[in-house]
Amino acid sequence: MVRFKHRYLLCEVVSDDPRCRLSLDDRALCGLVRDTIARVHGTFGAAACSIGFAVRYLNAYTGVVLLRCRKDFYQLVWSALPFITHLENKGHRYPCFLNTLHVGGTIRTCQKFLIQYNRRQLLILLQNCTDEGEREAIQKSVTKSCLLDRESGEEELSDGGDEVAEAME
Amino acid sequence: MSNAKERKHAKKMRNQPTNVTLSSGFVADRGVKHHNGGGKAFQAPRLGTAPPRQTKTTHYAPPEPDVSEQLSSRVMFKKKGGWRAGPEGTSQEIPKYITASTFAQARAAEISAMLKAVTQKSSNSLVFQTLPRHMRRRAMSHNVKRLPRRLQEMAQKEAEKAVHQKKEHSKNKCHKARRCHVNRMLEFNRRQKKNIWLETHIWHAKRFHVVRQWGYCLGERPTVKSHRACYRAMTNRCLLQDLSYYCCLELKGKEEEILKALSPMCSIDTGLTFAAVHCLSGKRQGSLTLYRAHRYPHGVLGPVTFIWRPERTPGDTSASRQLWIWLHPTLKQDILEEVKAACQCTEPVTPTPCVPDPLPTPSHGQSQPALPDEKIGKKRKRKDDGEDAKPVKKFFGDGTRDPHQPRSWISAATGIVISDLTMEMNRFRLIGPLSHSILTEALKAASVHMEGEDTEKTPHLWWIETCKNPDAVSLHRRQEAIFELLGGVTSPAEIPAGTVLGLTVGDPRINLPQKRSTALPNPEKCQDNEEVRQLLLEGVPVECAHSFIWSHAVCESVTENKISDQDLNQKRSELLVPGSQLVLGPHESKIPILLIQQPGRVAGDDRRGWGSGWDVLLPKGWGMAFWIPFIYRGARAGGLKEARVHSQYKRSPYVPGDFPDCSAGVLFAEEQANDLLEKYKRRPPAKRPNYVKLGTLAPFCCPWEQLTRDWESRVQAREGSPGAFPPRGEGSDLRGDEVPCVPTPEKPRQAPDEADTPLQDARGPEGERDTECPAQAGAAGLPGQDATGSLLCVLRSRAALKQLSAWCGPSCGGRRAAQRAPGRGQRDLTPEACLPLLDRFPRALVWVSLSLLGKGSPEPRTMICVPAEEDFLQLGRDRLYCGPQEPKHSDPFKSKIRKQKEKKKVEKRQNHGPAGSEGLPVGGPAVGLPALTLGLWSGPLPDVTSHCSRALLGFVTQGDFSMAVGCGEALGFVSLTGLLDTLCRQPAAQRGLVLLRPPASPQYRFARIAIEL
Repeated sequence: MVRFKHRYLLCEVVSDDPRCRLSLDDRALCGLVRDTIARVHGTFGAAACSIGFAVRYLNAYTGVVLLRCRKDFYQLVWSALPFITHLENKGHRYPCFLNTLHVGGTIRTCQKFLIQYNRRQLLILLQNCTDEGEREAIQKSVTKSCLLDRESGEEELSDGGDEVAEAME
Repeated sequence: MSNAKERKHAKKMRNQPTNVTLSSGFVADRGVKHHNGGGKAFQAPRLGTAPPRQTKTTHYAPPEPDVSEQLSSRVMFKKKGGWRAGPEGTSQEIPKYITASTFAQARAAEISAMLKAVTQKSSNSLVFQTLPRHMRRRAMSHNVKRLPRRLQEMAQKEAEKAVHQKKEHSKNKCHKARRCHVNRMLEFNRRQKKNIWLETHIWHAKRFHVVRQWGYCLGERPTVKSHRACYRAMTNRCLLQDLSYYCCLELKGKEEEILKALSPMCSIDTGLTFAAVHCLSGKRQGSLTLYRAHRYPHGVLGPVTFIWRPERTPGDTSASRQLWIWLHPTLKQDILEEVKAACQCTEPVTPTPCVPDPLPTPSHGQSQPALPDEKIGKKRKRKDDGEDAKPVKKFFGDGTRDPHQPRSWISAATGIVISDLTMEMNRFRLIGPLSHSILTEALKAASVHMEGEDTEKTPHLWWIETCKNPDAVSLHRRQEAIFELLGGVTSPAEIPAGTVLGLTVGDPRINLPQKRSTALPNPEKCQDNEEVRQLLLEGVPVECAHSFIWSHAVCESVTENKISDQDLNQKRSELLVPGSQLVLGPHESKIPILLIQQPGRVAGDDRRGWGSGWDVLLPKGWGMAFWIPFIYRGARAGGLKEARVHSQYKRSPYVPGDFPDCSAGVLFAEEQANDLLEKYKRRPPAKRPNYVKLGTLAPFCCPWEQLTRDWESRVQAREGSPGAFPPRGEGSDLRGDEVPCVPTPEKPRQAPDEADTPLQDARGPEGERDTECPAQAGAAGLPGQDATGSLLCVLRSRAALKQLSAWCGPSCGGRRAAQRAPGRGQRDLTPEACLPLLDRFPRALVWVSLSLLGKGSPEPRTMICVPAEEDFLQLGRDRLYCGPQEPKHSDPFKSKIRKQKEKKKVEKRQNHGPAGSEGLPVGGPAVGLPALTLGLWSGPLPDVTSHCSRALLGFVTQGDFSMAVGCGEALGFVSLTGLLDTLCRQPAAQRGLVLLRPPASPQYRFARIAIEL
């Protein structure tokens, strides 16, 4: 196939400050990574990585971020990521760092990996949980994530997907 | 473009999870807790979201608050795999620590979103395409069961969707039923109700690009690449055209009455009239230009050809005669009305007795009720089919005509009957030297019926009756002999122009050759014997012009008793020796036809007689029966484009494009301008010529009216300066009294001014209309207005044209020209000599032909310009000098367009912003302004003659590289005033040189002007 080959970096924004999540949006993150690359790799690196660079997915709740760049220069991006120490948005500066979870060739593999990863996280959480109420809540969410797996077909068929979502809760 | 890209992207990202962010207004929202519940909890996703998604989220917003009360932190699933956060993130203060439950819930939500994205296919490929190659199986797209089970469900859905998308069969019959002959005939008859089909339509539709024009479906050009081949056919072989769309008007009545009625409609000035001796006897076909009665030289109706039925009793002017006027369909409406008015024929004759053919009426009547029934129900349809099975006949003639519309009109006072014979006859045109051999090979004169043959069964009673008359038989023999002689004549150009030969021929399908071949002239026949020489000298005798095609009754019977192709082939297959000649005997149809010689190039000195040929008139219904034999003898079929090329190489004006003074021509020009403007607008501005910069004011239509007016005012303005030629007087008597050379006092100069000012005032609105035309072609005026009210006319007076053509040539160009001038009694070209001409035709156009001196091939709407002094100097120095260049003009509209665009943008933003209702009145006036198009002159045109560096003289209407001459050739009109002015100023040696510049080029090229008679 004739196409531009990309690399997708699945990262996790780790921050102590919960307010950091608030200011997490794609534009801010994009600028942040770009600036860092420019700082670390100079003008050449910034230019090489700016082609096809995009934030494909971002989840402020979990801090999961999917970055896209061209395959030729993804190592420049990758190597620049550890140098991110602060997230700056709207005048606020929060200390944080990016933890690269996975590097994939397609969005799909990254998504698959993310599912695995999250499941593992939930299981670890469940194992380590001591509080009874918490434990129940976690179990509920784990079953929910599996429930969807089963009922996704039904949801597709029915038009009112929102009602289904509500009913599931 | 970006819109399409966006849409494509949105479709691709449809199943992808959207970004999830917390509200950005965290700081502001901190204090106001209650407000947050109703506020948008989540920013409109920026990446990878489709617009419909956004609307969905806004729709979804209202039910949110009450839901959010129940759950403190909650994650909702969106239908399409995306998910969104509840408003909890903002409504509550950010906690200092993370609770495991929220953490887990966020993870769980993400898992589910990702799961959804992963399970659903993202691209717009089919399900089985997502499978790797080695897992694909044959016929997966048809049979769902061949897919892996996990994909079957999705494939099922996809297949259902595909079925819906597939176009449903609109026809309620199966293919086989549709192909069945009866139904096909019904369908064909239905389809030719909107636009008239010629009889050869199906044949043409398979081989030609068919266009709908003038109410007909006509072949525009062959689908094969054949421009040059058609030219060769015209010059060396034979080109065949179906001209059946030409309309025929029949006038029946006393000869003197008809002549009296028609004489005001034509002028002796333009050539021969209806009363020309040769034509009146029926020996020749005549051609002339019709005018509105008593309106010459204005009010042109168009060119026509006419044939008189050969009279039986010469010299008797009160005898009842029959006259056919053949004309182009675009001119029909006007001419019919005018002829009706001239003959005072107002009473429509009731169609029933007068409709010349009873055949189409029953088939028309039967097929019409049958068609609506078909759509109602199947049962009824079948019944109708049963009834119709026999009578459904091929539809001949005009299918669009209302059967109750009158076709003929009678006058009580003069006794003239006018009938409209449109589509009652077929007219095929054969062009080229081989047309003789094709005609003589394809057509065989009918065998004379012998006494003693069984006459009871034959339907061709009229022929038997004729054969009983020995005079008629001998006439038929003479016609046959002359027709045979034609085979020995090498070119139709040798026959006197317009010769008419009547003939009765046998069925041409009977001796159809097995294969397509080329008919070659028979060398044996080509002997230069006495008979041929006599034929060439004297033409066809008058008696031989007689044909039974003039009689409606015979035509009807011939059409009705045509033996069908199927029967003919059946009989052929029953022959004892396959492939032998089929002898039908008395059952063979006898078809009366009329052959008319078409003169080719009659004007000019070179290539005289080029493109001459024969027209064949046939009774209707016989079109295909004659067409195929002609084709099988090696004729090449041509369409409208070939007709245009033919007329261009012949240097004759083409109907209707080259008649700018008749309403059909005006209408044609408007339509063409509209088409060209549409085409122009379809290209991006950078990829199309900027006509304003090129100095082309009217690239799509020729503003004749303004051109002549501007030249008039230009010459008048120049008259003021001394040394120029004297001003024009009011009438010829005034001018005659004065000595031309003496500079005249003020008084007579004022007179024309006074005379002209009210005229121009009166012409004010019309002038505006005219100037609007090129820029805003859609806003052009009424078609009829021009013909009725304007001074514009085309110079067609032969005497004046002769004078002009003598002036056009270089006077020292050769002894021949010098000899000719005194011989014809021509005057020298002086300003004084021009005056009577200018007085008679104040705003006239002259039809000129131009041939380029060097390179270049002109295109339609090329500008004809006056060369300046320095151009002649350059040309004198360098024989190969191409010509001057037009300097670049500035584009005053560009900034305006930019401003308009900006204004629109601002308005758009305003409309998007506060309220749509406020934006509307602002947009109102802007919409009212005419939309400017980049590269076109908008608004009224300035002085067209002096806009460019060389004064504009006229425009080219047809132009191309001429394969006949080997250089660029053009035909067009120039302003008479301008032409005379130019010729007067040019040095005698270079008289008649002009410059041509195509609308999309700055290069001028030299051409020689000639007026051909």
